[in-house]
Amino acid sequence: MSKNPHYKSTAKKPPVQKAVRTNEKKPRKPLILPILPLFFLMVWAWATVYYGDVFRIARENSFWVASTEQMKFILDQSYGMLWYVGRLALQLFRYPIIGGMCFAGLLALCSWLLGYSMRLTPRWRWIQYIPALLYVGYISKEGLNIFFEVETGRILGIPLLALGILLIWAVIIKSFSKKEVPAIVRIPKDETPMQNRLQLCVCILGLAGCITFTQQCRPYVPVITKMMVGQINQDWEGIQKTARANADLSYRAIAAYYAMALVQTDQVGDRVYDIRMDYDTLHIVGWDNTYNNGNSLYIPEGNYYAGLVETCYHYTFEKMVMNGPSSHGLEMLVKCALMRNEWALAEKYIRILRQVPFEGDFCDKYGAMIRNPKLVNADPEMANIRQLEPLHDSFENLYQQPTFMGYNLRLFEARSINAWKNSLAVCLYTKLMPDFLQRLQPLAGSIPPENFADGILLMTNKYPELNKMFNGLDFRATRMSGFMQEIQPFMKDRPGFAKELFPKYKGYYPYYYFFGNLKATKKPEPQKQTSNSGVN
Amino acid sequence: MKKLSIHPFRNAVPVIGMLISVLFASCKNEATLPVDFTEIPEKAEIFPDYQGITIPANIAPLNFMVKDSSATEYVVHFQCKNPSSGQSAGELLTAGGKDGKIMIDSLQWRQLLTACIGQQIITNVYAHRPTGWVKYQSHNLYVAREPIDTYLSYRLIEPGYELYRQLGLYQRNLTNWDVHTIYENNRTYEEKNNHCINCHNYKNYSTENMLFHVRANHGGTIMIQNGKAQKVQIKDSTIITAGVYPSWHPTQDLVAFSTNKTGQTFHLYHPEKIEVMDEASDLLLYNPGKNEVSHILRTRNNMETFPNWSPDGKTLYYCNCELDKVLDLEATPDSMIAREIALRYNLTRYSLMKIDFDPQTQSFGEPQMVVDAPARNKSITLPRVSPDGRYVLYTEGDYGQFHIWHKSSDLWVKDLQADTCYALKQANSRDVDSYHSWSSNGRWIVFSSRRDDGNYTRPYIAYFDKKGKARKAFMLPHEDPEYSLLLLRSYNVPELTTDAVSIPAKDLRDCIYGSEGEKAKYVKK
Repeated sequence: MSKNPHYKSTAKKPPVQKAVRTNEKKPRKPLILPILPLFFLMVWAWATVYYGDVFRIARENSFWVASTEQMKFILDQSYGMLWYVGRLALQLFRYPIIGGMCFAGLLALCSWLLGYSMRLTPRWRWIQYIPALLYVGYISKEGLNIFFEVETGRILGIPLLALGILLIWAVIIKSFSKKEVPAIVRIPKDETPMQNRLQLCVCILGLAGCITFTQQCRPYVPVITKMMVGQINQDWEGIQKTARANADLSYRAIAAYYAMALVQTDQVGDRVYDIRMDYDTLHIVGWDNTYNNGNSLYIPEGNYYAGLVETCYHYTFEKMVMNGPSSHGLEMLVKCALMRNEWALAEKYIRILRQVPFEGDFCDKYGAMIRNPKLVNADPEMANIRQLEPLHDSFENLYQQPTFMGYNLRLFEARSINAWKNSLAVCLYTKLMPDFLQRLQPLAGSIPPENFADGILLMTNKYPELNKMFNGLDFRATRMSGFMQEIQPFMKDRPGFAKELFPKYKGYYPYYYFFGNLKATKKPEPQKQTSNSGVN
Repeated sequence: MKKLSIHPFRNAVPVIGMLISVLFASCKNEATLPVDFTEIPEKAEIFPDYQGITIPANIAPLNFMVKDSSATEYVVHFQCKNPSSGQSAGELLTAGGKDGKIMIDSLQWRQLLTACIGQQIITNVYAHRPTGWVKYQSHNLYVAREPIDTYLSYRLIEPGYELYRQLGLYQRNLTNWDVHTIYENNRTYEEKNNHCINCHNYKNYSTENMLFHVRANHGGTIMIQNGKAQKVQIKDSTIITAGVYPSWHPTQDLVAFSTNKTGQTFHLYHPEKIEVMDEASDLLLYNPGKNEVSHILRTRNNMETFPNWSPDGKTLYYCNCELDKVLDLEATPDSMIAREIALRYNLTRYSLMKIDFDPQTQSFGEPQMVVDAPARNKSITLPRVSPDGRYVLYTEGDYGQFHIWHKSSDLWVKDLQADTCYALKQANSRDVDSYHSWSSNGRWIVFSSRRDDGNYTRPYIAYFDKKGKARKAFMLPHEDPEYSLLLLRSYNVPELTTDAVSIPAKDLRDCIYGSEGEKAKYVKK
């Protein structure tokens, strides 16, 4: 509690004294809370615990180095210096707890200065929190668009600009007024409990409103970004846990990161259908408010974890061309270059990354792999990818898009059984059963993974000989026949019943075969326009 | 005993002064030639590799980085001796800090090079290791008598992608660090204004007559003559696309263009990443004064591209691929040609051809073979005739026409006088060496090379001697020698000119945005 000798209360007699007169018992001291510090703590918690991964991914999609030459692409723009500083501050979200503190601190300071500059009386003091809460609301409304094909320097650049303006305003006010600047951390003595509680309510309701909005309208935002952070940290179990905990959320990015985690943990034949796959539309727009389906959220990574390192490099670079360099993009390029033994190229990207704050560990780890293929192949992630790499060259445009699907649909020779399993999994996912059957031979005589076994059983009516090719199908056949009977009433309106039936048949491939991903089969998603593509 | 009084402010002044002087001392390395050192048998590992190269006397300082993980400071001593007297004709001493960056004073460098024209400069690099100073084996720089054209224009572009957002044409003054923006598209993405720029080209090494193309939104060819820019549309129903690869006629107001239907695709598992292929191409002749265009060669069986005039303007060199040797044209519908070529991309090969031109009648003769590269399973692209008309400099690779992505591509010359072809071994590298141009005096060539990391093209300059041999090439110097390592863009289409582009970027922008461009009139010949 601060004791300011110059402080003069503008409030009338506090009601607490009235209570003393009417109550003979020892009066209960009314609880007056320091709202500003509480506001700071609440925003900090929101920005760290709830939205921390979103900000972290924003940081990974951003790029900042001290060199103004390298940041010329930002500095030459309108407000370039502001975005430059905003990007620097965003770097703190490498550790969301620190970044969140910065974000909350900025908003709290803005609120504090606004209250002072507007000379808000205790009755109206709640107003000082409104702009900050509106900004949190704006961030929530934007969802993935706080980092997707936008200037990431805005996230903290705008509060920084507001803080600068408010500081100037406050200095002017201070110069012409005798009003004291209130301490930041203090129990406000001039507020009535009601006024105090009103401020608290505004803060709590404002933040709760933002969280509710996200949960209701952008529920995928924290989930997708959590999975993206999982991919960066190679936390495959965590990704799966997140996906399964949000199995009802059906978005391509979630399915893609989930599939990557399954590929990395060799479960692609068993657990793919634990999540719903009907694919709702993301609220996302591209540069200049153009239509965007958000595919670039996962396409580079999807290709990488499917063993298509060159294709990953291509799409990572496309993203960098359109959005400018990013920490995560450069990291992916380093990995691709190492996988392809392009040592000088990897060295180049690491040299750039070394200048980015908090990238030292990454640079040390992957820098050691340069000109050391043994170390590359000893890395668990890279070793897994290595065995999925193509055996032969061909061109991307000969396959359906995305390449990691199209390539696997046409795989006829594989480097490993895992590559083969990926191909089978993609055939099942796309419901191309003839292609699936064509590729079963390498698994003959074994107990196939669950999804594959169910896929085989779906085809045994047509091809009874399949039963003899594999072991362990019999006990699944009973469930299959039961399932086929149970779904008959729902077959007339499969899209209509899909969501209703999902909890019952979660993880069961025949459910997906009949009820899953129906929208996509009916109406293909429009592809990103390529009118601005060229030869380079 | 006198009591020690500590006044915070008074004591702070000398401390601050001391700190500032320490700071300055740590920033500026005083160059003193080490007296006590150990000579080691290795040559210094430096980037860019400026060892044993021939340089023009008007080149900017060759700043470089020394790689020595244990060294904390460096001294570099340049010296050239008068061959007759053995006396020092010029010398320069410079120092570098722990980062190994050797930044040479421009004025001293200019003095050194002026004093050493036609001679060699011996370069000694000293490194201060924990055990003391060491001296690497010295290396030499040869200062040629002929200067290089002052300006190098190029496009900066990210390598290896389809989409584009921000790119520009720039011009570097080779005698210093000045870079001038010729034209840049938007820094921020605007869907309706997004466009690509390419193929900047000049007439007779001068910017008085120049052109470049704009693709996508606001597309057209920008012709700049007499200080004015004009947008034209070199299109017609008989023309495959628009004008693509250009070549200004040296004496007449004419430009030869190729018109190409080009596609790009990405490898799945190949060190070359990208393949760019034509499925059709012809040659055009454009008259800017009359805004008329006509075909020079229009064939279905042949893909003609990369036109280049001889200095007398009487011969047009170009490259040609006989399409019917790549695929069965009769059996392939037009819609399938691109796919079939993609499947046979490594069988698509171009030869060097020429066709005579009569400037008086503006008529062409019959195509003649100059170098039948496909007969040797090779493919030739980008012929550029030397200013004296004796040599045709071209790129030769194993296949295809976009050699900038082909690791096999090297610079070759055809000596038209001796009728021989040979590779410029000294200038070439194991990686891509491609897009090249001559200096106006024919003694220097500049070309794009991916030799440093296999992905980013950087301009390399090589001396081309009177015997038709190229010397070891060196990278375009930058003020910060680390610059090119940190740059995420490639230098594209390096072109030398004797003068600077004078038209302001704003005028070019106004021209590009201002009109759709006048459509060229097609004239059947």
